[in-house]
This record gives sequence, C-alpha cells and structure tokens, in this order.
Amino acid sequence: MRILLVEDTHDVGEAISRRFETTGHTVDWETDGRAASEILDFTDYDLVILDVMLPGLDGFEILKRLRQNRNAVPVMVLTARSEIDDRVSALDLGADDYLVKPFDFRELEARARVLLRRRSGGEATNVIACGDVMLDRTNRSVHVGKREVQLKRREMTLLEILASRPGRVFSKDQLLDQIFGFDEPAGPNAIELYVGRLRKKLEGARARIVTVRGLGYQLVSDDEE
Amino acid sequence: MTKNRRSLFYRLVVRVALVLSVGAAVLITAAWFYAKAAADEAYDRLLQGAAIQILDGLSVEDGRIGINLPPAAFELLGQAPRDRIFYRVVSPDGLTLTGYDDLAVSADLTPARSGPVFLSEDYRNVPLRIGIVGRAISEAATGGWAYVLVGQTTEARKEFVTELTTRALVIVLIMSAVALAGTALAIRYSLRPVNQLGDMLLRRDPQDLTPLSVAVPGELSPFVDSINHFMRRLDERVRLLQRFIADSAHQIRTPLTALSAQVSLIHEDALSDSDRRHLERVKDRAGELAHFTGQLLNHAMVIHRFDSAQLGPLDVTEIARKAFRAAVPITIDPDTVVSFEGPDETLIVLGDGLSLREAIVNIIDNSLRHGTRFKLDVRVLRRGNFALVEVEDDGPGIPPADWSQVTKRFVSSKSGSGSSGLGFAIASEVAIALRGGLSFREKTPEKGFTIVLELPLHAEMTS
Repeated sequence: MRILLVEDTHDVGEAISRRFETTGHTVDWETDGRAASEILDFTDYDLVILDVMLPGLDGFEILKRLRQNRNAVPVMVLTARSEIDDRVSALDLGADDYLVKPFDFRELEARARVLLRRRSGGEATNVIACGDVMLDRTNRSVHVGKREVQLKRREMTLLEILASRPGRVFSKDQLLDQIFGFDEPAGPNAIELYVGRLRKKLEGARARIVTVRGLGYQLVSDDEE
Repeated sequence: MTKNRRSLFYRLVVRVALVLSVGAAVLITAAWFYAKAAADEAYDRLLQGAAIQILDGLSVEDGRIGINLPPAAFELLGQAPRDRIFYRVVSPDGLTLTGYDDLAVSADLTPARSGPVFLSEDYRNVPLRIGIVGRAISEAATGGWAYVLVGQTTEARKEFVTELTTRALVIVLIMSAVALAGTALAIRYSLRPVNQLGDMLLRRDPQDLTPLSVAVPGELSPFVDSINHFMRRLDERVRLLQRFIADSAHQIRTPLTALSAQVSLIHEDALSDSDRRHLERVKDRAGELAHFTGQLLNHAMVIHRFDSAQLGPLDVTEIARKAFRAAVPITIDPDTVVSFEGPDETLIVLGDGLSLREAIVNIIDNSLRHGTRFKLDVRVLRRGNFALVEVEDDGPGIPPADWSQVTKRFVSSKSGSGSSGLGFAIASEVAIALRGGLSFREKTPEKGFTIVLELPLHAEMTS
C-alpha cells in the first residue's frame, strides 16, 4: 500500500518509513508541509501519516485542505499533545486517528494497519445482534449488554462470521479460510485459541459459542432456547 | 492572608469621636465660663443693690454718722435662702460702725470711691463674695469716705453655674452623639463601594483575568487601576506559562520520539547477547522517560488548566469512553479482556473535559501497567448525586496502608519499578479540583481491586 509520511524530524521520519517499507509498503516521505499538500492534490494514497508541527504548512492546515477537497484518505496525526489542547482536536478536523509523541512504534504500526484495513474492507454499515451481543461493523465495536468489549481484529472477524448466521455450525476449516486467508499459515489450533479468547471476552453475555463436537462452532443466543 | 489592620470604619469613627470630644470639652468649658460670668453679674448686682441701700441709710447728724439699716436691703439677697449674709459699715475714720468688724479687714477700700468693687474672699472658712460701695461724707467734722461691705456665701451662684453648665453639657453631649452617629452612618455609606468592589472581586470567575470594568468613586480608582495592572501581569504570566508548557512539550517530545525511533531501527539480530541486553535497557529507559515526560507535562497542563480553563458541563460517559479508547493500547495482550460499561442515563458534571479525560486515562494506564492480568473493566455509573468512574482490574491491588501515599506526587507503590507515580496524583488533583475525590476499593473474591473516581453531578441533574 502507498503511504504518505509528512514528518520534518529526520530521525523519526527515517524510522517510520523504514519500518513500513520492511513490511512491504511504499512510503513517500515529505518534510515540507506545503509540498506535501501539493502532492496530495494529485496523488492517491492509502494512508497519510501527518505530523502537526511542520515547516511551510502545518498538519492541521493540510488536513483541513484535504477534507475540503473531499479527499477521504485515512489520516493519522502525530502530535505533541499540547498542540491538540490549544487548537481544535485533530479528530474534529477529520483525522481518523492520532498518536501522541513519543509513541510506541508497534502501536503506530498496529493503528496504521487498522486504518489500512478499513480502507480496503469497504464501508460495512450494519449492526449484527445475537442475544445481547451487538456487533457494530461501522466502528468495529462490540457490546455485551451495556458493556463495550474491545476485540482484536481476528476475534472481531470470528465473531462477525459466527454472528452473521446464529445457530449455524461453522467448521474449523471454514473459519480458518475466512479469518486468515490463504497466504497466512495457521493451524486449527489457532482457531481454538481465538474461540477461547472470544468466549472469555463474551463472558456474561446472553449468547455463547458452542463447540459442536467433530463439526465446528456455532453462536447460540440464550434467548432462543 | 494579609494581617488585618483596624478597619477603615473603626479608624474614622475613632478620629471623629476624638475631634468631637475635644470640641465638646471646649464648648462645655466655655459654657461654664459664661455661666459663671452671668451668675457673678446677676448676684453681684444684688450685692451692690443691698450695699447701696445700706449706704443710703447713712445719715450725718450733729457731726455724727447715724445708721439706719433698711430691711429692704436684705430682701433681695434673701432670695438665696441657703446663703448667709455678712455686712460691715466703715466710717470715714476707718472704724467699723456696725456689722461684722472682721469682714474683709485687710481689703483696700479706696477703689470703691470710683464705683462698686467686688472681691472674693474666704471668710470664716467659707468662700464669700463681697461687694463694696463708698460714699463721700461732706460734713466738716467727719469728712471723708464711708464704705459699706456686703458679703454673701456663694452657694446659690454655684448652683446657678452648675445648672447652666449642666444644661449646656446635656445639649453638647446630645449634639456630639448625633454628630457621631451621623458620621458613622455617612462613613458606612461612603465605604460601600469598597465592599462592593471586594464582593465583585470575590464573585468573579477565577479564570476571568480581564480588567475590572466597574464605576467606583475617584478615591478608589487608583486601587482598581492597580488591580487591573496586576491582572494584566497575571494574565501575561498565565499565557507565558501556557506557551512554555506547549513549547517544552514539543521540544522534549520530538527528540524523545527521535530517540525511540532510532533505537527501533537497530537490528537486534546482528547484536551480541550482551549488546541486546543493553539495547533492551535503553528501550525500556526510553519508554520510561517518554511515559514520565508525558505524565509530567500532563500534570503541569492539568494543574495549569484549572487556573485558566473555563469549567463547563460534561458528559462523563463520553469523556470516560474517549479516555478508555486512548488509554488502552492497540498492541495490548490479546488475552486481556478490556470492557467499558456506561450508565443508562446521561451523567453531567461540571469540569474541564481535557483534564478529566487525562485523569481517567492515567487511572486506566496505571491499572494496565501495574494491576491488570487478564481483565480490566471500566464502568461509569451514578450513585446519589455523584457520577462514579470505576476502574476494576484482576491484579493484586494496592494495600490499604499505601492508599494515602499513592495519590501523592512521585510516590510509587513499587519502588524502582520505573513508574513515576504521577498518574494517581494527576487523577486525584483533577478530582479534588472538581470537588470530587479518588478512592480505592479492596479486592474481594467476587470483585477485583477498584479505583473509583467520584465527581459531583451538575446542579441541574441533582435537583
């Protein structure tokens, strides 16, 4: 995927672009705000990582222009927090996420992955419900009753599959294909691991994952029994 | 607190009272003098009249002086019933013709030739006022001056003086009291702008550093001007401090980010075991430094914001949800169950959203770093007139003995573990600033260790 990194601190820019390049992304690195804004006018990116304090044009200005031009590219803002305090919150200006410096590089990568995935996954807007488990695909959130539970990406996918057809039994192979794809090596034990985690996270819900011996898993709502 | 000197009112009243007392004393003294003069004049005239009547009764027959005391002479003097009367008639040859011959024997009588003379003298140990009149006898044999002395004790005239003076005294005292009361009222009234100014300053929003715009009497305007001057300076200071925090945040955070960025670029595979250990240490310390710097700056910001930020109504659940999302890292261990639970109703508190979020972020962050093993629950709920944000984890918790310590700055329950211990201090300070509090609930078999942030609900919600 193509990423535009706008960061004027050399050490930071170098590390970010190197890290993303090693995971197979193409990174264009700009240090000047005005130049970055111009590039964004005629080049499509899958993700923009934007520092706030920049020479030329600051990050907030770039973001504002981007959204004025109806460019919906996901933007991750990097900031020293006080800049957010003093001005309108980056999220209000149309950023999709922000990270406060100094940040953990694994956190940056993880969040960037979320944004890239959202970009490629298209906009699913419906809510799936089973028992008192509610899965909102728009903002990828899961509620158990009033409780909002945080799920990891694969747990979310697993729940999505099971909850899309409550009561139906999915075999391990079916789940493996959908959760990991063909190119990612994962054994059947991985499914057991994720099911275990998901069960733990859904504890106390009026729906549970039932193991159907020899066949696979199904999500059963207590309400229907 | 400045030492309280005596009030302006008190000082003014004391001074006015002093002036009035001096005035009253002068007036009363004057009244006494006048009363005495008036009494002397009135009673001396009676003495003179009596003496002249006696003098008129002198007759010269055959070269001898005869005396015929007219009773009417003493009638007028008899008006003072308690006073005694003494008289002496002196012949031209200096002999006492009749009366008390020891009355004013040493007095020089000659001045009476030109008119009546009065003198005060003690006679038989009683103060006496004596009137002397003289008459020239033209008979050849007895030629010369005859004198009549009439003395009267002074009780009546003293009484008269006392009475007049007392009346004057009463009037002066009443006038002084009226003047003092009037002055006190006038001072109270005149000092009202001072109290109003004080009230206005007290009622003022602590964040409002704009100059006072209030009409005050001319005497107070230098005071108001200096207050305004002071406020301008304070405002400037606050702004400077804000700038400083913002600048230092940026200045410190940027190189820290660069440092951890560079460290992250080192290929660990190519390192020897010991070098890798050192690198781990550097990473840990850089992370610690970053975390600590973040807390320090947030702490400065939070404390500072309560001096400058306007408090407004906030939805606690919304703030807590944002804090929850910000505090739980995406890279968290997948086996950890983290959940958030909000109340059915909207809970509104008065506060500063950023500080409140920072407080909750710090509690959650602390719990994730030091408490949570596999489970972290964040709940927002209502209890009476309070909104509670509860952060519960399945960790060992903090022993009750340390509860009072961990909310202090730079105190950590685990020494040397790298936690700076500012997290609870920030949360506690925010809670206190919003008139709430931070408390802990011990671990029970059913429930984990819980940190409770308690905030009073906005007045509109409690009513």
